[in-house]
Amino acid sequence: MTALTTTAAVIVTFNRSDKLMRVLDALDQQTQKPDLVFVVDNASTDDTQALVQTRAAQMPSLRYVRLPKNVGGAGGFHEGMKVAYAAGANYLWISDDDAYPQPDALERLLDAIQQFEAENVWRPSFACSRVEWIDGSLCEMNTPRPVWDWARFVQPGKAWALVDSCSFVSVLVPRWAIEKHGLPISDYFIWFDDAEYTRRLAKSYPGIFVPESRVIHDTPENKGVNYSLVTSKSLWKFKYGARNETSFRSREQGLVGVLSFAWGVRAQMKAGNVPWSIRRQIYQAILRGWSFRPAIPKAPAG
Amino acid sequence: MTAPASARPVAETEIKRLEREQAEIVSIYRRLFPDDDLEIVFWQCDSPVWSAPSVRDGRMTFHPHHLSPEYLGRLRLSSGQAGARFRTINISIPRAPTPGEVRNADAPWQPVRRLGPLFNAWPMAYEHIRYQAEMRRKRLCRQRHSHQSLARGAGSVALPPPDEGGPDTSRRPAILIGFHWLEVGGAEKLAFDCVDWALAAGLRVIVVASVPSLQRLADRLPDHPDVSFIRLDRYLAHDLWPQFIERLARAENIRLIHVHHCVPLYAALAHLRVTAPWLKVVDSTHIVEHPDGGYPRVSGVWSNYIDHHHVISRELVDYYRDVFHVMHKVVLGRMLPRADQLELPALNMKPGQKQLRVAFIGRMYYQKRPVVMVETLRALARWAGRNGIEFKATVVGEGPFADTVAGLVKRRGLADQVTLEAANADIPGLLGNSDILLLPSNNEGLALVCYEAIQHGCIPLSTDVGSQAELVPPDLLLRLEPFGSVRDAVSAVDRLWRDPGFLARQQTELHERFRHIASDPTAEDILMPIYRAAAEGETA
Repeated sequence: MTALTTTAAVIVTFNRSDKLMRVLDALDQQTQKPDLVFVVDNASTDDTQALVQTRAAQMPSLRYVRLPKNVGGAGGFHEGMKVAYAAGANYLWISDDDAYPQPDALERLLDAIQQFEAENVWRPSFACSRVEWIDGSLCEMNTPRPVWDWARFVQPGKAWALVDSCSFVSVLVPRWAIEKHGLPISDYFIWFDDAEYTRRLAKSYPGIFVPESRVIHDTPENKGVNYSLVTSKSLWKFKYGARNETSFRSREQGLVGVLSFAWGVRAQMKAGNVPWSIRRQIYQAILRGWSFRPAIPKAPAG
Repeated sequence: MTAPASARPVAETEIKRLEREQAEIVSIYRRLFPDDDLEIVFWQCDSPVWSAPSVRDGRMTFHPHHLSPEYLGRLRLSSGQAGARFRTINISIPRAPTPGEVRNADAPWQPVRRLGPLFNAWPMAYEHIRYQAEMRRKRLCRQRHSHQSLARGAGSVALPPPDEGGPDTSRRPAILIGFHWLEVGGAEKLAFDCVDWALAAGLRVIVVASVPSLQRLADRLPDHPDVSFIRLDRYLAHDLWPQFIERLARAENIRLIHVHHCVPLYAALAHLRVTAPWLKVVDSTHIVEHPDGGYPRVSGVWSNYIDHHHVISRELVDYYRDVFHVMHKVVLGRMLPRADQLELPALNMKPGQKQLRVAFIGRMYYQKRPVVMVETLRALARWAGRNGIEFKATVVGEGPFADTVAGLVKRRGLADQVTLEAANADIPGLLGNSDILLLPSNNEGLALVCYEAIQHGCIPLSTDVGSQAELVPPDLLLRLEPFGSVRDAVSAVDRLWRDPGFLARQQTELHERFRHIASDPTAEDILMPIYRAAAEGETA
C-alpha cells in the first residue's frame, strides 16, 4: 500500500503505426490516465515517428524513445522500463502496440493492487489484466499462469487469483519490484522475456490476475504458444522461445528442468506432426539455450 | 478531463497510517528541539523498520535526488518564537510489514556459501570449522576490543559545575527502561519483568529500544496509562539520543535508567552524567559473548558511569572483578522465581529403563547449536538401538535454523523418533515426561530451561559454557568442541543408564546445586529496592 501512484505506461512498437495510434487513443481515454506514456520505437520504418510527434502536441504525457535498431520486444521493454523507472514512476504499466485497454483498465489495476495490499498485507509483485481477443474470447497467448494456491484471496467481487507469470500485455509493476528484481533481459530479443521476468518478480510474492481490468489484443489469430503449432513461417519466433526458456530453466532448475522442457517440446511437436527439419532446428535452439546465460539487468541506480 | 494516476485518492487506511507515523515523528523531534522552527521532509521507504533520519541546521536546498519517486511531502512546525533557529529533518516513513516479515524475524539459515557443499556432505565438519573460528575470535577478543573502563573526570572544585536545574517534579517519578528490542529473548524477558516491577514500585515507565525491528512483543507491555513506548529505534539516530534523553528526563521526571543491552543508552551516559546529575543508572547483563565480550564487556567499559551492575550469574560477578576490577556495585540477582517452598522431584530416568526420552528446548539460533543437537540425537538413537532401548526425542523451538533441523532430522532417518514442536509447546509437560534435556549451546548465561528441567525431574546435559557449571554437575557437562560434545553426551547417558550409583549421585548434586542457587537473591529482590528508592525520589 502506498500513497504514491505516479504511473508510466510503456508501449513497445514496430511498424504498426495505425494500431499504435489506437492504443494511444485508449490510453488517453483512461478514467485514470498514466502520468507518462513512453512509446518505445524499435526503429520502425513506417510513419510511426511522424504520427507520434504529431500526437505529442495534444498529449503532453507522451514520450518517444526511438531505438537505433530493432532489439525485439525484449530489448524494447528493457529500454522502456529503464527510462520510465529513471523518470520516477511508482508503477510501470507495460503493454504492446496492438493491445487496446478498456477505459478503466488502469484504474482497475491500481484499485486491485492497492486494495489487495491493504486487505491482505502481502505485496503482489505485479497485477495483470484479462486480455481478450478481438471477438471477446480469452486471448490464448496472454493467459497468466496461476500458482498452486491461486484461490487463496479470491472473493466475490474481488476475484484476484495469484499468478506467477503473465505476458507483457497490460501488466502493472510496482517500483519496489523493479528495484529488487531488475529489468527484463534484453538479450532474449523476443518470446519468453515476459514469462522469465514475471516469474523473477514473483519470487518476492506472486502477482494478481485482475479480470475486471480488460484489454483487447488485436492479433491476426488467437493461438497460444505451443510447439505443435510451429511452421516454417513462425519457426524463427519459436527458436527464440526455445532458446530463452531453456536458458531460464537451466538457470533456475538445472539440467533436470532443461530435460523436462525438452521432453515436453518433443511431445508437442510429435503431437502436431511437425516436420523433422523444423524439429531439428528447435532442438538446436534448445542446445544453444543450455549455454546461453545472459546477465540479469539491475534497475538503474536512484 | 480525467485525472492522472498520481492524483488518485489515497485510501483512508493509508492516510491513517501516515498520520500515526507522522504524529510519533513530530512528538520526538518537537521534544528534541522545542525552541526551534522545524521542517520535516518525508519520504516513503521500502524498509518496514527504519526511517533513516537525518537532521541539519537551517533550510534544506532541494536537489533532484530529494524529489525522488519516494518523496511524500513536507511539514512545517513553528516554535512560535521570533528569530528561532531553523532545522530540517529528513525522514522516511517505513512501509507496513508483510505477513511473512511479521512471522519470520530472520531469514532461514544458510551455510557460508563456499562451505555449503561441506555442510551438505558432513554437517559436523562444518560445525567444527565454525567452532574453531569462534574460538579464534574468543582468543583475539582482548586484542580487538577494549576491556578498560572509560575514565570519568569529575572536574575541578575551582570550576564548580553550573546549575543544570532538575527534573519536573510536578510529575510522578519515572524510570527509563532501555531494551535491546522487543522480541523474544532471555534479556528481553527480564526487561519485561522489570516493567512490571517498576509499575509495582510506583514508577511511571518509559520504554525505548535500540535496535530497529518490528518490535513484535510490544503488545506484551502492560496496557497501563503509566507505561509508554517511544519509538526512538525507528525514528531517531543514535547520535541524537543523549540530548533527547536529557530533555525527556527533565520533562518526565525520570529518576532511574535501567539498561538492558541498549547500546545508545550506554553511549548517552557521559552526556547525562553532566546534564542530568540526579539520574541513577543500573544495567543488567547476561552472557559474555565469545567474539567481543558481548554486553558485559560494554557494561564494564561504561562502568564508571553506572551505579549498579545487576548480573544473573556468578560467572559475571567474577568477570567484572577480574576484567574491570569492579566489585562494590556488582549485584547478583538470579532470573528465578522465589524458591520459598522448594521440593524437587526424583529424576525421571531409572537405571536400565527400556526407553529414553530426550528433549531440546531453545530458539533455533547458532547459539544453541541446533546442528550439534541433531547429531547428538542421532548418536543417542544409535546407542539406544544397540542397547535395545526405545528412543524418542522432542525438539521445541523456532528460528532461522528450524528448516535446517527439520531437513537434518529427515536425512538422518530420525523422522519417526524425533518430534518437532513450535515454541508455544507445553514445556513443563514435556520436561515432566523427559529423561534428558540436551543443551549443546555455543554459549549460555545460566539457562533458565535447566532450572525448569530439574524442577520436573529431567536431567540437563549441557556444554560447559557461561555459568552452566554452577548448576550442572561436572559429570553432566559436555565439551564445547562439537565432536567431543556428541561423544560426551552419549557417554553420560550410557553411564546414567547403566550405573545406579552414578545416577543417584547426579540427582543429589543437581538438587544441591539448585538449592544453592535458589538461596541467592532473585533479580526482583535486587532491583525492587532500587526501583522503590527511585519512586521515593519525588519527595527527596
